[in-house]
Amino acid sequence: MSTPTTDAAAPAKPAASGDAKTPPPPLVPGTTSAERLALAKKYGLRPLNVRPPLGEYIRDLAGRWAFIRVLATSTAYAKNQNNYLGQLWAVLNPILNAAVYVLIFGILLGLNRGVSNSIAFIVIGVFMYRFIESSVTGGAKSISGKTQLLRSLHFPRAVLPMSTVLSLLTTLLPAIVVMCIVTLLSGLLPGYAMIHITWWWLLLPAAVALMWIFNTGLAFIMARYVATTPDVENVLPFVMRVVMYASGVIFPIVGHLDKLHIPEAFKAVVGGILEYQPVAVYLYLVRSVLMQEEQFPPSGLMWALGGVWAVVFFVVGFIVFWRGEERYGRD
Amino acid sequence: MTEADEHMDFDLEIEPEDEGEEALETDLGDPCLVVDDLHVVYRVIGGRARKEAEKKGSEVREIKVKEPFFKRLLQSGRQHVGAVSEVHAVRGVSFTVRHGESVGIVGVNGSGKSTMLRAIAGLMPPKHGSVHVSGEPSLLGVNAALMPQLSGERNIMIGGLALGLTPKEVDEKFDEVVEFAGIGDFVYLPMKTYSSGMGARLRFAISSAASPDILMIDEALATGDAAFKERSKSRIEDVRANAGTVFLVSHSISTIEAMCTRVLWMHQGQLVMDGPVHEVADAYKKFVRAQRPGGMTPARRRAIQRKRAAEAKAAEAEAKKAEAEQKKAAEARA
Repeated sequence: MSTPTTDAAAPAKPAASGDAKTPPPPLVPGTTSAERLALAKKYGLRPLNVRPPLGEYIRDLAGRWAFIRVLATSTAYAKNQNNYLGQLWAVLNPILNAAVYVLIFGILLGLNRGVSNSIAFIVIGVFMYRFIESSVTGGAKSISGKTQLLRSLHFPRAVLPMSTVLSLLTTLLPAIVVMCIVTLLSGLLPGYAMIHITWWWLLLPAAVALMWIFNTGLAFIMARYVATTPDVENVLPFVMRVVMYASGVIFPIVGHLDKLHIPEAFKAVVGGILEYQPVAVYLYLVRSVLMQEEQFPPSGLMWALGGVWAVVFFVVGFIVFWRGEERYGRD
Repeated sequence: MTEADEHMDFDLEIEPEDEGEEALETDLGDPCLVVDDLHVVYRVIGGRARKEAEKKGSEVREIKVKEPFFKRLLQSGRQHVGAVSEVHAVRGVSFTVRHGESVGIVGVNGSGKSTMLRAIAGLMPPKHGSVHVSGEPSLLGVNAALMPQLSGERNIMIGGLALGLTPKEVDEKFDEVVEFAGIGDFVYLPMKTYSSGMGARLRFAISSAASPDILMIDEALATGDAAFKERSKSRIEDVRANAGTVFLVSHSISTIEAMCTRVLWMHQGQLVMDGPVHEVADAYKKFVRAQRPGGMTPARRRAIQRKRAAEAKAAEAEAKKAEAEQKKAAEARA
């Protein structure tokens, strides 16, 4: 027979019946803070709510790979599950998307953008840019929109942004197949250059993988800042629209720069930034792989830059995210 | 008297089947959880504490913004622009729990029970103070976020992995979880089609599948039928027998009396009583009854309970009689 421990200095007495309406006064602990901490240390107890060291955090996260994968595929699957056509929408959605762009830009406007196949140019640009954009907006919500989950279960929080981007990658795969088919078919239209399947196409998975790493880094950064300041999320759509026009998603930006009335030296700097910033680099890589366009010759420099941007964003994003680890779920 | 007192919920549920039950006594081991001067403050964006509430020393308080110049300008829109408040839900709680203890937490609504439970489970970062544990605490809440669009089967996998099991371990435990939840073939349907009791049972089954060292339960036992309650009670005893510790937040004081050996009573974010189950439970019952607006006395309450029991018995007898008659009729026809 054992009796429970009590930390009260004096044995707690039930309130007298006369003042039963008020609860007893707050307990004064019988031990001091230092004594309690010493007790915790003596029995080797682990402090909670403390950010784990980076190495331990990475090991813990690596052990959760199965969780990240299942969460990502389940989210991607659940998205289409409420419709009659179910998972067919994973393919229908990108087809409709491509159809709209081909109709408007390719057939109605019929713009020549200084490229020989503008349909392929636009479809590749839009599909790839959507991957980046949805990673940013999805990553932004990955922590702030899951407060209930954060307050119910304990796991390294980096799981959430990572699985968000992985889930987007899962939905991107059927879209990429559609993109390749549309690109090939666009060459059959009169006035658009023929697209051939070349050995370069084999590099497409590499380009997508680099984008995946880069997007995960972006999602980490967004998740941290939106979790602390939800207002950032309201600004994101506007920032992403500016980035879209500045990265040459639906028309090449470089040609337009020449028409601006600004000093030549300044033009060179702005041009360099616009050309070598990560989003433009990844769009260039995918276009150079799929299209045989004079404007996008295969370029070792661009591949190197793609790798550098991916690593830099991933590492910086991961550290930024990890530094807020103990705070997620409080706000 | 503060606002929290006025809006107090007067439920003091007594579950008849818990009456007379006692928690199993186990030998207490070394301390497994030390809570030191815990304060939990969370930010509420989009709501501002009113000045009156602040004056009365309530736990909600406004963050002071130093903008005297714009003050008048902002005055009209203060509730709508830049409204950020802090809720000081747990205010300086310290206690120690040993292996094998079963701790109930009682208190009126809004007294900080659930917030404290989340903080000692490591899910709500404290503003001040610290929590030290051995092993991995696991909180079982009614709101554990699983995915309603997906099947129970998929949710078992997600929940198990979230708790740190490997996919293989989840597969091994799958049958056990389904059986414990008692949902049968519903496990292959989306979770949104489940009744609330089924959902709660499945969540309980998933959460306790990982056999945690410290199991924390937040009013989860309120849903579920008597048979499930019996099973969850034995699951709790299992955890305690393996030198684990159980925390239980429940509105049913009889559930706490039946399952716990020690009770913490929280009021306005502070610990006001901590001791053996019957001592604290009696004091708490007395306190809650005194708050009752109608001033219902224990005698009257017992009378109502007796009346209800008598009615239930009568209904049962009637049902039996009807059944017997049906049988007789069937026999006669045969």
